[in-house]
Amino acid sequence: MSWITTLDHKRIGVLYIVTALVFFVAGGILALLMRSQLATPNESLITKNAYNELFTIHGTTMIFLFIVPFWAGLANFLVPLMIGARDMAFPRLNAASYWFFLFGGLVLFLSFFAAGGAAKAGWYSYPPLSEEFYSPGTGQDLWILALHLVGISSLLGAINFICTIANMRARGMSWMRIPLFVWTILIYSVLLVATLPVLAVGLTLLLLDRQVGTHFFLPDEGGNAVLYQHFFWFFGHPEVYVIILPGMGVISEVIPVFSRKPIFGYKAIAFSTVAIGFYSMLVWAHHMFSVGLPTFLNIFFMLSSMVIAVPTGIKIFNWLATTWRGNLIFDTAMLWALGFIAVFTIGGLSGVFLAAFPVDWQVTDTYYVVAHMHYVMFGGSVFAAFAALYYWWPKIFGKVLNERLGKLHFWLVFAGFNLTFFPQHLLGLMGMPRRIFTYDRHGLFEAYNLVSTIGSGIMAIGILLFFWNVVQTTRTGRRAANDPWLGDTLEWYTTSPPPPHNFDKLPYISSARPLRDLRRRLAEARV
Amino acid sequence: MPPPVRRKTLVLFLMLGAALAFASAAYADNGGFAPVPPASPNASGIRDAYLWISIFTAGVFIVVEASLIWFIFKYRRRGRDRTHEGPQVHGATRLELIWTAIPVLILAAIAAFVFYKLPGIQDVPKAQAQGGPLNIRIDAHQFYWQFSYPDGQVSINELHAPANRVVKVDIHSDDVAHSWWVPALGGKFDAIPGQTNDTWFQAERLGTYRGQCGEFCGVFHAAMHAKVIAESQRDYEAFLRSAEDPQVLGRQEWVGVCAECHGLDGTGGYGPNIQSNATLVSPESLRTLLENGLNRTAPLSSYMPPVGRGWTNAQLVALMAYVKDHVYKAGSSGG
Repeated sequence: MSWITTLDHKRIGVLYIVTALVFFVAGGILALLMRSQLATPNESLITKNAYNELFTIHGTTMIFLFIVPFWAGLANFLVPLMIGARDMAFPRLNAASYWFFLFGGLVLFLSFFAAGGAAKAGWYSYPPLSEEFYSPGTGQDLWILALHLVGISSLLGAINFICTIANMRARGMSWMRIPLFVWTILIYSVLLVATLPVLAVGLTLLLLDRQVGTHFFLPDEGGNAVLYQHFFWFFGHPEVYVIILPGMGVISEVIPVFSRKPIFGYKAIAFSTVAIGFYSMLVWAHHMFSVGLPTFLNIFFMLSSMVIAVPTGIKIFNWLATTWRGNLIFDTAMLWALGFIAVFTIGGLSGVFLAAFPVDWQVTDTYYVVAHMHYVMFGGSVFAAFAALYYWWPKIFGKVLNERLGKLHFWLVFAGFNLTFFPQHLLGLMGMPRRIFTYDRHGLFEAYNLVSTIGSGIMAIGILLFFWNVVQTTRTGRRAANDPWLGDTLEWYTTSPPPPHNFDKLPYISSARPLRDLRRRLAEARV
Repeated sequence: MPPPVRRKTLVLFLMLGAALAFASAAYADNGGFAPVPPASPNASGIRDAYLWISIFTAGVFIVVEASLIWFIFKYRRRGRDRTHEGPQVHGATRLELIWTAIPVLILAAIAAFVFYKLPGIQDVPKAQAQGGPLNIRIDAHQFYWQFSYPDGQVSINELHAPANRVVKVDIHSDDVAHSWWVPALGGKFDAIPGQTNDTWFQAERLGTYRGQCGEFCGVFHAAMHAKVIAESQRDYEAFLRSAEDPQVLGRQEWVGVCAECHGLDGTGGYGPNIQSNATLVSPESLRTLLENGLNRTAPLSSYMPPVGRGWTNAQLVALMAYVKDHVYKAGSSGG
């Protein structure tokens, strides 16, 4: 009961994380069903509308109900601790944002039972396909309702993070001393505040079209179908960075601690985060290169999209430089972080092809894009999420996850991930469009699809091991010390798990690594 | 930490898997490592741009992954204490500048090459010996492609064109968004209701080129295939003559448009059995149905797309004649 009425940022964070992981499993099951259907050609396991529901709800779930709220949960737990605050700026608003999220998610999943089934127009639901005539039934309306609820949740959360980070930093915690994860959460929040209202406008107009009989997106009656795409992607592309930036923040925390070095180029990483945030709002129409925009706009969006590669590259080079001459400790969290660099690089490089619009004309809306976005979203964000779970689990739950199972989990997912998604690049180049429920017999098509399905099974086993690890650790795991990894940041100063008021007192903060400073002062005092 | 032997086995296993994947890829004509072999100048331009970008991305890939693996190997713990720290280096401005500038230069080289190739990809080549490009209109529908030729002939799902002739296509949609895409003949261009996009191709070899709708368009998106048949001028002219036969047109319309959902003999499939439905032989109601579609909420939410929107009278007449002769069975139950 106390969990329902709680206003404690740590408990709300745990609620968020647990709920997001439940949705991760649900969305993952949908993905496994899709891969089963695509394992062999002309398969008839799940076809037509049912398949279309699967990929629509899979995409919506993973983006809106798993990874964004997962970061909200992690940030809820960590941001006040990292900046030395007692709680978030607005605890009640914080609780409200969690409950909006939960109910939005329930609406989405219950929509499978609606008349006509769940939404099946894809996660970006372009009109006219998503209009009343072409998508009859209430599934599409419930999809809009769910996104509105989740959107309100993210908006409230984002405002809360901005206020907390701006106003509640401890004495000595200047802007150039806040952990890099906090920097990424700040930009995550700014992007959500700037772009969610635009999504809300697009969804509301679509809802009006469907329910009230307006025709904003119906060309036959004077509307414009492409307008929705602009609304959607003006939100949708910054959303991609909402998804990846906190992951980059996690990596920037984990790599220095397990390299036993400070982060290389703190300022470069912090400012590149800001730069990515800024440019991410100028690139949306690279999702629309085949729509028939004027050439000068295609050129503009090609160049702006390429520019984003520069700050992203800066981060990767700085992480590599951080490991240089370090004392690399390969605990599970570090494996996920290094795995992140290995696979996210591939996702970033395939993005350069997609930014060049004539090349995009060839590969857009194919499995190449599916592969690209899973390399950045799964290989990027989800790898980072697992790094975060292994790294902060002791702080959040007071017990250390089993390292042996953790490493097995990593290797299975790393192998399964590459087997699943690498062949999809090749499928796309060979001409396989995304969102098709079946394909014909054709040598390599069959081989790559089968490999991809086998890979997804290996990944699923790896992820099952994670949950087995959680059960084992909760039952018999070893208790965590305050600072099991010799961390740099303030959350490791307090107990594991922290008391409701977070800190009895705070150490003196004179750099971005107050805990290391403290350890050194204690060591000097001993001598 | 697991013993080293097991890690070696794992690495071996992974490398074997990767080698197998690449070998099987190399075995095919291009293995999917580049867009399909082009058969039209615009598709060649795209492939050139793709290969050019590959050079740089491969370089960056190798530099990043090799240094990652090298650092992992070289700076591993090797029994050192967890408290042992590496040198406390906080950054280096010169290095930051270098790895900001190099990507900028690479991107500039990529952009320059793309702009150099762009006119050859995007612009329809100027008039030729045969009297300028051949103009063909594409109408994308749920769930078929309709091609209209300059003299009014129509074909469904199969576009015929003379080889080596520049063909300019104007792409329309009459319902939802689709995307015209035949990989060997160039990139995708969306068919969006309310606007016209155009692109072109020039099939360099005789043959059949396959394509498929590239923008998710609903339940039969996966079945929305298109074929481009590049043939000799003589065969093309013969095709145009045959396309004027209403029997041929009517059959194409039934098979390509109606049978997708209602089955070849009209006894139903995804859509209902319409074999003895009186609408089939009532010109006015059939015309209304094909132009407006049908939206139903009971007993199940379902709809029929307006498959005949934009059809000429000749097209409707051809379909009705075909249906009357070959599909409709009066009096039997169903419908």
